[in-house]
Amino acid sequence: MEEEREQEIIKGRSYIKRFLKRFSKNYLGIFGAAIVSLLVFMSLTAPIIFPYPNPRLEMRYTPPFKDWSVPLGTDNLGRDMLALIFYGARTSLKVGLGSILLIFIFGVTIGSLAGYFGKWLDEILMRFTDIMLTIPTLFLIIVFLSMFEVRGINVIIFAIGVTGWPGLARITRSQFLSLKKTPYVEAVQVMGGSSFRIMFKHILLNALPPIIVVLTFQMAGAILMEAGLSFLGLGDPTLISWGKIVTQGRVSVATAWWESTFPGMAILFAVLGFNLLGDAIRDSFEVEKVG
Amino acid sequence: MTMALKDYVIRRSFIAIPTLFAISVIVFAIIHAAPGDPFQFFLGFNPRVSMETIEFLREKYHLNDPIWVQYISWLKMLLSGNMGYSFITHRAVSEAIMIRVPNTVKLVLSAELIAIMLAIPLGTISAVKEGGIIDNVSRVISLLGVSMPSFWLGILLILLFAVKLDLLPTCGARTTGMIYDSFWESLKDQLIHLILPAMTLGYLRTAYLTRLLRSSLLDVLSKDYIMTARMKGLKERVVIYKHALRNALLPFVTAIGLAFGFLLSGAVLTETVFAWPGMGRLIVDATFTRDYPVIMGTTMMTAVMVVLANLITDIVYAFLDPRITYD
Repeated sequence: MEEEREQEIIKGRSYIKRFLKRFSKNYLGIFGAAIVSLLVFMSLTAPIIFPYPNPRLEMRYTPPFKDWSVPLGTDNLGRDMLALIFYGARTSLKVGLGSILLIFIFGVTIGSLAGYFGKWLDEILMRFTDIMLTIPTLFLIIVFLSMFEVRGINVIIFAIGVTGWPGLARITRSQFLSLKKTPYVEAVQVMGGSSFRIMFKHILLNALPPIIVVLTFQMAGAILMEAGLSFLGLGDPTLISWGKIVTQGRVSVATAWWESTFPGMAILFAVLGFNLLGDAIRDSFEVEKVG
Repeated sequence: MTMALKDYVIRRSFIAIPTLFAISVIVFAIIHAAPGDPFQFFLGFNPRVSMETIEFLREKYHLNDPIWVQYISWLKMLLSGNMGYSFITHRAVSEAIMIRVPNTVKLVLSAELIAIMLAIPLGTISAVKEGGIIDNVSRVISLLGVSMPSFWLGILLILLFAVKLDLLPTCGARTTGMIYDSFWESLKDQLIHLILPAMTLGYLRTAYLTRLLRSSLLDVLSKDYIMTARMKGLKERVVIYKHALRNALLPFVTAIGLAFGFLLSGAVLTETVFAWPGMGRLIVDATFTRDYPVIMGTTMMTAVMVVLANLITDIVYAFLDPRITYD
């Protein structure tokens, strides 16, 4: 591994090229990337392929694979299951992207301040991180959600983002701790670069690979969390969400198995896709194991 | 030795107190920072409720006081063993929690037991025979397990075992209204109800722990001392069980403790699917009604459970690893 890496550096392959070469050999990773691409495709084309899935009561509980205008059957309101799954992808991706953006902002800010400045600031920030890690995430999210009378999608994103950062903060901190001791950072310090510039231009850029890996796994986690919250009835009441359809299908599971089975499979594949992608990215970057 | 261990345990327990105190401040602040209050929210829908009534209730529950005054009075109550009263049912929160805790503990511990019993052999074989059939099968099982929504798995298990095969009950912790003739009958009834929820939560946990043990064991197996042991001509079985597994179990044990909160989060969803009367259901219902004392009490209780789990992990770790010094 080490020799192979040296060979490629000698050949003059860039970091990105070396990454892509390794990634292209990882079949599970490609499978994950394919699932993620499909999710993006579904969420972008949902309104074009399926104009809003209107309830058609005369068609309620059509079983799957019977009527090809609704290949996956219909739910208790006669809505096309396939359309619901496309719209659900939109909700899941929106929640996932929004949450990891917040997690990135909170986690990187807290982790880099603690790792770069150290001393009492590190002590306080890491204590706080430990405390956040002691309360089980779902309970903490529920505490945040109880603040709001109306729980729209932005509230869900906020709750997942504001509780999800401790893991990333720890990893960012450890990256900063080891990178600030490297000769090139010391060189910039001697040349009089400002702390801000060193932190964000020189260290953060080099700390990005493990951060990207963690965020990919967090994306999977956020999708799973949104599904769970919707299942508990704490989701956005106005949006179509996979978790909500699973709940709705729970009561009729004996007679209409497809109503909760298909959206559940959609959640499984979406989360699996991001997990596989995360594994593959981790194995393709030249970094130590994280997460 | 034993004295040192005892001191260590006592010292660790004292460290837990400031953590729990800080958690209570944070959670209290979040809950009470919310605009409006449950009375305005619920009674606001009813035109017959006058503003005076709402104001009376706010005054009665001290919601008009500054937040730190409210916090101090809550803390005082807590120290005398009282967690306040539910806004909705007016029952003591501590009483409601104490009824639920044993059920959650029962579910969580049995899931953890299933997971540990499955993960140790699966993880070990996967790492020792890396790339073999068992490794590949267990990798698929664990990948699916870490990606699967627990509530969905629960519904599928209900569909299979309760609806189609009619073998197991669908919900609850015991048969409603049943009068037991003997202790054994009661135990049997409760165990039958426990099977599906414990399987659901246990599977997800197995997936996580198997992945963890596999990577930790692979890490150990590449160490120099393993090569030394092999070169000494020790039997492979001795190398694996005595030298490798013992060392690989250390990070495994730490992770079990650290991820205990994860298990409690999973329990909320599992409890909801199976209508299991645990703490998860309590806090979710309290969220709909913004029942502050219940939310506060339940969250604190789970934090205590996590802190306890971490403490037990530390102690087990100290037993397992003779290198740990207790200072």
